[in-house]
Amino acid sequence: MNSSPRAGLLALPYGLWLLAAFAAPLGAVMLLSVQESSEIFAPLSLIPSAAQYAELWQDRFYRRVFLNTLLLGACVAAACAVLAYPLALWLTRLSPRWKPIGFAIVLVPLLTNVVVRSLGIILLLAPRGVIGGLAVELGLPRPDLLFTWFAVGLALTQVFLPFMVLALYDSLEGQERRLEEAAAGLGAGPATRFWRVTLPLSLPGLRAGLVITFLLASESYVSAALVGGRKVLVTGMLVVKEGADLLNYPLAAALAMLMLGAGVLATILIGRVVARLTPWVADRVPGRRLALPPAARRIVVAAAEFIAPLLSRLLLVTAIGILVFPLLLVAVASVNDSPQATVAQFLGFTWKWYAMVLQNERYLADAWVSLKLALACVAISLAIALPAAFALVRAGFRGREGVGAMFMLPLALPGIAIGLGMLRLLQWFNALPPFLGILAVHVVLVAPFMLALLRASVAGLDRGLEEAAGGLGATPVRVFRRVILPQLGPGIAVACVIGFLLSFGEVTVTAFLTTARLQTLPVRIYAEATFSLENTVNAISTIFILTTVALLMLVNRVMPLDRVWKR
Amino acid sequence: MSLSPTRRGLLGAAALATPAIWGRDAVAQIRRGDELTVGIWGGLQERITREFCATPLEQQYGVKVNFVLGGTTDRRPRAYAERGRPSFDVIYLNIFESRQAVRDAVTLAPSANVPNFANLYPLARLGGYGVAFNPVTIVYDRRLVAAPMTSWKDLWREDLRGKVIMNGELGAQGSSTLLMTAKIWGASENDIDPAFRKIAELKPFRAFQTSQDQLYGMFDNQVGAASVEFGSFTRTYAESRNPNIVIADPTEGQAVAMNVACITAGSTKQALAEAWVNLHLSPACQRAYAERTYYSPTIRNIDLPPELAAKLIIGEAAVGKLVDFDWDVVTRNLQRWNGRWTREILG
Repeated sequence: MNSSPRAGLLALPYGLWLLAAFAAPLGAVMLLSVQESSEIFAPLSLIPSAAQYAELWQDRFYRRVFLNTLLLGACVAAACAVLAYPLALWLTRLSPRWKPIGFAIVLVPLLTNVVVRSLGIILLLAPRGVIGGLAVELGLPRPDLLFTWFAVGLALTQVFLPFMVLALYDSLEGQERRLEEAAAGLGAGPATRFWRVTLPLSLPGLRAGLVITFLLASESYVSAALVGGRKVLVTGMLVVKEGADLLNYPLAAALAMLMLGAGVLATILIGRVVARLTPWVADRVPGRRLALPPAARRIVVAAAEFIAPLLSRLLLVTAIGILVFPLLLVAVASVNDSPQATVAQFLGFTWKWYAMVLQNERYLADAWVSLKLALACVAISLAIALPAAFALVRAGFRGREGVGAMFMLPLALPGIAIGLGMLRLLQWFNALPPFLGILAVHVVLVAPFMLALLRASVAGLDRGLEEAAGGLGATPVRVFRRVILPQLGPGIAVACVIGFLLSFGEVTVTAFLTTARLQTLPVRIYAEATFSLENTVNAISTIFILTTVALLMLVNRVMPLDRVWKR
Repeated sequence: MSLSPTRRGLLGAAALATPAIWGRDAVAQIRRGDELTVGIWGGLQERITREFCATPLEQQYGVKVNFVLGGTTDRRPRAYAERGRPSFDVIYLNIFESRQAVRDAVTLAPSANVPNFANLYPLARLGGYGVAFNPVTIVYDRRLVAAPMTSWKDLWREDLRGKVIMNGELGAQGSSTLLMTAKIWGASENDIDPAFRKIAELKPFRAFQTSQDQLYGMFDNQVGAASVEFGSFTRTYAESRNPNIVIADPTEGQAVAMNVACITAGSTKQALAEAWVNLHLSPACQRAYAERTYYSPTIRNIDLPPELAAKLIIGEAAVGKLVDFDWDVVTRNLQRWNGRWTREILG
């Protein structure tokens, strides 16, 4: 595993999988986007036409929505980063016994239904809601925050914060504590230590988190539709409207391709900036830093040291509040005796939603399908993403950044567009056994997340240890098993948990591909919500959350979430 | 020997008809072990149709019914992608999706092969088999308006200025708002401009809603005073959670909306699909829908208790009062109107 071009071959399985399972739908979307006619039954033309792109470009409305969406993505990624640092640092300091609970808190938003989460945001921001009431108590005017960009940003920050926290967690957990101690010994306060030691060393994790949160936030549309109340328009909504409601595939495809392009550019840009800020990774000489004059510097440092402890606590409490708030709502709603799911009123206590879930064999059968699917998906994704992570970090081939961005493509293409692309390939897709077909697609959707996280973990490996083991005569296999794997343990565990939850909860693409023979639990829940949302949704969420806590405790036993020898 | 023109014509007709009969034969029989695939919404819809359609069929014929659950935005693109070789046998669509699907040869026009077809109101015989009327009307919070709302024109009343929660998109509810506006202000689906102008006059909107759950969340929090929504679900909501919500019955009538069962073109289980639809149109099944979710029956041969009937659209007169539109014109223009809605109403 040296810096040789040959190590690049490790990226091959991942690349081949994308080629087999993603290239075809992507190709279909590309081809659709260059059709001149929007007529649904028009035969596909192989002569490219820029008609759809021209329509998008000439329309000020689309341009504005597109730019607003990118801006929203950037703001959400930034907000996630700011809130995630205190939270991730808090997680690294938790004792092993409490660690699974800490992780469960971080994962709550990923385990609750998006509609319920959005109702929570509405409850929080409505004129007569929690924040409104608080403002009036304090003698301030009643704020009108609902159905604004702020509300959408908050909703997206809530659901994508877990990705950022977990991306940072492994980088922070793997850091050499002695560096910080040394800085402290030399007189640096907490703020300076964070700014000059912790932050720079965690940049690979931050890069993974920024890429993931930016791509997810700029594609999302459900939260935006629910808490933006359509006063906020994002590109994802337009893709869904054109593609799924109006069956105007070419325009939807062109819009999706533009989002893909913007996503790839952002991924490369984030990679470049982080590479510039971490010259030691590539053994480069750091560039000159801008420095303040000593007097001004002293004032800034003193101010930062004064504010930092307060600010970090405030951010930590805010972050935990944002994460846990839906849990509270869900747990209460799951025993609420109301025919439609609500979070604003409690009408009476009942266990009946739990009974409906647990006595209905169909929920259990679908949950079993989802479980098998998620486990198989995580196993395959890990098997292809881990070698690819090594290739991207260690191999010295040209265009590595480009390949890295290519590997993130499935994340950058809106899920709904992947679904529409698959519809064009339905004949071939239907020839596959249903489980394998859906599995192939799930791996495409999940592997990029795991790759982004594992890449940061591999970048944090201490290569001195490997060289020492090799020098002492250990074979490469032994080095991998005894030196690399233990160091990667927490990173792999975190990546697997995220991968599992993503596959287990996937709806957008799966709903298009669901057949009579294979139905997953989230698709069933979603289908029920398309008619009328019942509190069974909340009962299921509560069961999920409890199961996750149990699962995390188990994972913590098998594959510790921290590096044991460092304790 | 030469054949007379009549006999030749008869023979020709027979020759033409034979393959058709054979073809019909292949799909006209229900065989044990057949599987019927039905695309429908989840939750209560799945529970009722399992009880009143799937279980009886499975017991009577030894067949198997597969449900593919989802919204119409999932099954409609899929049915279009599979035109002619469908994986669904029956799909449920809304009033204009169903009529367009028949025109696009994705689903079949309704026929008297389904015995209960004879009991359907004429309005429910277009684009497939209408299984439930679910009309759209004004719903409002009585605490936040100066006087009861009795006309669609009341949306433009001074006391509602800035308090209307508008539909976020032109789905069943949003298009009803647009089309009713056109109708009451002297325009029509062929002359839609005045409707857009009138709705724009309502600005600023308090909010936009894109789903019932979202609207009810807003009503819970007293975000706005009035909106346009399905009366059925809103009645359940009002009765269980918020007695201040009123389902208006405007003098101009409620806008028709309907769930439609559609048999796919090319289904190899046509007879079984027809048996399914027939069961959905049975009085027992229609009654279950009326009792459990306030859907109004589309068949005439049903008796409901008066207190339930009072909350529904029952009888020729009431059904006749439902406002229908030229959905051909609507579907042709929906794409353009959607663009305008996004820009002129939401923007």
